Amino acid sequence: MTILRAKGLSKRFTGVVAVKDMDVSVGDGELLGLFGPNGAGKTTLFNLIAGTFFANTGQIDFMGHDVTRMPAFRRARLGIGRTFQVVRPFRALTVMENLLAAVPSMAAGKRNDADLAWELLGKIDLQCRARDSAGDLTLGMLKRLEVARALMLSPRLLLLDEPLAGLTGKESADLLLFLQTLRGQTSVIMVEHNVRLALPICDRAVVMDAGAVIADGAPDQIRRSPAVIRAYLGEDQE
Amino acid sequence: MSDTVMNPPAGSMSRGNRSDAIFIAGVIVVGAIAMAQPWLGVSSYFLTLIYYVAYYLALGQAWNLMSGLTGYVSFSHGALAGIGAYAVVLSLNGNLPMALALVVAAIATVAASLIIGATALRLRGTAFTFATLFFQELVLLLVRKLPFTGGSSGLILYQIIPVWIAYVMMVTVAVAATIAFALTRRSRLGIRMLAIKSDESAAAAIGIDSTRLKIILFCASAGIAGLVGAVHGIFVATLYPEVIFSVDLSIVALAVALIGGVGSAAGPIAGAIVYVGLREIVQVVAPGAHLVIIGLLLLGIILFLRDGIVPAVGRLVSRKGSRSSTSGRQS
Amino acid sequence: MTLTLALQLLVNGLVNGGLLGLVALGLALIFGVVRVVNFAHGEFITLGAYTTFLLVTQFALSPLIGIPVAFLVGGLFGWVVHAVIVSRMTGRPELDVLMMTFSLSIVGLGLFALIFGGDFRNYSEGPTGSIDIGGVVVGWRSLTALIACVVLGAGTLLVVQRARIGLGLRALAQNRDAAAACGINVPASERIAFSLAVGLAAAAGSLVSLIGTTTPTVGHYWVLDGFVVVVLGGMGSISGALLAAFAISLVNSFGSYLLDDAWARIITYLLLYAAILLRPHGLLGRESAS
Repeated sequence: MTILRAKGLSKRFTGVVAVKDMDVSVGDGELLGLFGPNGAGKTTLFNLIAGTFFANTGQIDFMGHDVTRMPAFRRARLGIGRTFQVVRPFRALTVMENLLAAVPSMAAGKRNDADLAWELLGKIDLQCRARDSAGDLTLGMLKRLEVARALMLSPRLLLLDEPLAGLTGKESADLLLFLQTLRGQTSVIMVEHNVRLALPICDRAVVMDAGAVIADGAPDQIRRSPAVIRAYLGEDQE
Repeated sequence: MSDTVMNPPAGSMSRGNRSDAIFIAGVIVVGAIAMAQPWLGVSSYFLTLIYYVAYYLALGQAWNLMSGLTGYVSFSHGALAGIGAYAVVLSLNGNLPMALALVVAAIATVAASLIIGATALRLRGTAFTFATLFFQELVLLLVRKLPFTGGSSGLILYQIIPVWIAYVMMVTVAVAATIAFALTRRSRLGIRMLAIKSDESAAAAIGIDSTRLKIILFCASAGIAGLVGAVHGIFVATLYPEVIFSVDLSIVALAVALIGGVGSAAGPIAGAIVYVGLREIVQVVAPGAHLVIIGLLLLGIILFLRDGIVPAVGRLVSRKGSRSSTSGRQS
Repeated sequence: MTLTLALQLLVNGLVNGGLLGLVALGLALIFGVVRVVNFAHGEFITLGAYTTFLLVTQFALSPLIGIPVAFLVGGLFGWVVHAVIVSRMTGRPELDVLMMTFSLSIVGLGLFALIFGGDFRNYSEGPTGSIDIGGVVVGWRSLTALIACVVLGAGTLLVVQRARIGLGLRALAQNRDAAAACGINVPASERIAFSLAVGLAAAAGSLVSLIGTTTPTVGHYWVLDGFVVVVLGGMGSISGALLAAFAISLVNSFGSYLLDDAWARIITYLLLYAAILLRPHGLLGRESAS
């Protein structure tokens, strides 16, 4: 079942066309990798799906709802969670409060959010820092916190913007393991530059360049696609 | 990732649950003592001082509830209090019982706040601030023009209400406002407001409807300001628009929270005491220099103390005290 | 409403619009370049007014000399204030910066009230009489003020749009970090912008003392209208501010005649609220990404 379907999306910022007539879809429980060189429009696509800004053309359907013109907070409540390229914790709040701030989405049901927060803190190994101010944490911890914060929504779709950036080898491996546990319950779109680490865990991959899709398929296909290799000339490739 | 503890330890929800309870208990005790003063034979001058501390404290907490938690600075709280004053006097003159008159005052103020709320809360922070400043002016102009408010000649309360009643009511409102702030700060609403203040975009990403919350908080804040104004209206018994709606009151509401510490329940308490004390001293030592002294005080605090007196004291205490992993910030 | 009357009201509105535009120009400059909402701007206007008043009454100089003198005095004060206070506030949250200018405003107000008292000050030196153009009467004082506004405003715009310094200021307004990375001396540029804006405010104050009355709160009332203009024109948009300045002045001018001063102001504020509802980013502001 497709939970997200975007058609004909485009977005321009005075003179720059960041996203050009794009179609993208995500299935239930699917882990979709979104790759492409810098400036390809990946974060812009995220912002369009999450609702940070609205598209100039096109339509976005999520779980049967037309969210094209829906404000960001409503999309979050429908079940779209996201993390940011540069972490954005609530520095004025404690670690626990960062999680409690989330408004439970429709999917969450009657679950006690304090219990859920505590459980998530356990999964990301931050229970010991629950009462500390978020401003005191390291980058690796903040990245995990941001994922947990998005998960408080019990989202059906999770948008991860370069979750591995800035993490050590071990931290990356741990986070990837954690992401794989989400398989089946939550769909994920993950933007990553570290293709070598990220591609293997994806069910499907989409490659963007200059605002458009240049490849869309299974990881093996993508690896061998000449268009992709061309776009990535000079970058790490299999 | 590692062994998880299934149940959160008691009180891990947010920091300082116990210090909160102590603080609230302390506020109630001090409030009770203050309320007993009229019967303990203290001078009326001293009673007036306590009254004004309670008055500015209550207004400061109302301001704090909105601007301290959201970061959207309001210059309208003086006007909102003024609306409460006029509403209560008009109601009492219309022979409504005291309790109902106070309710009318609160409702009138909340209604007025919805006007600013619906228009100005969509704006960026600074534009919102201007909108509240204009609101202040607008209300002053309107009150002078409208027939039933008595215009420039003022509005008089017909009944004679003993001063001690206003005194007791103001202390009660001050205590209630302080407790309301402390509880809100800890509640989900308070957490979400601070999330908005920290990063409005990230807050939207986790489902927070910032416009709605801002409006709720602003209306609650206005309701309290309206009650404060209503009690003060009873206290002074004669209302002149220039005085009641002077922007000075909005400045004091703000200054009191700023001096003591914005965003903390204890801040306006320290701020009100400092402000009233300073004002009395200046009256004696250098009358006429009142504005200059207050302005310099505010400037000094902003430049050198950063967050106000209470957090500064807190930092001093925690530096001398133990090395706990949590910072020394209080409620 | 005869044509003559309408023209008369128009001319009055233009004169006020020029002054308001000067005030708003300074505010927009400070907001755009230094990213500070200058609540103390009114007190700098008052500074200019009293400076000229003193110059005329104590030193028997012409008010026309008072204008550039006030400009320079304002610029000097602006320089010092920025160096000593404003520059320390970089990186501080908006609320703090706002309160800082606000406290400055209170200090200024208090000082003026203390030193000069609340009396209304006027002087009769300077241009007198009026000219009559087909029934429309314009006082020479008002005309002088209008000319001064145009000169000062045009001069400022020329500097900002053409001069090398102006290029630096515009770059700074658009992207602070990028400007710094290009070698633009950010602190110095900020100080220049601030001083220029304060100088403009003082000059406006000088003109106010010429065509109106000087009191400790005179600047405060002009700056309140200035803020209306800046919000209406879209926080930092110079063309928007100028357009709004004339719009507001014309509303005031016609409104004062048709109704009365107070109602004119009420209508202005109501229009402001309506504008906010319909166009949250001001008349000519750009839509910003969230």
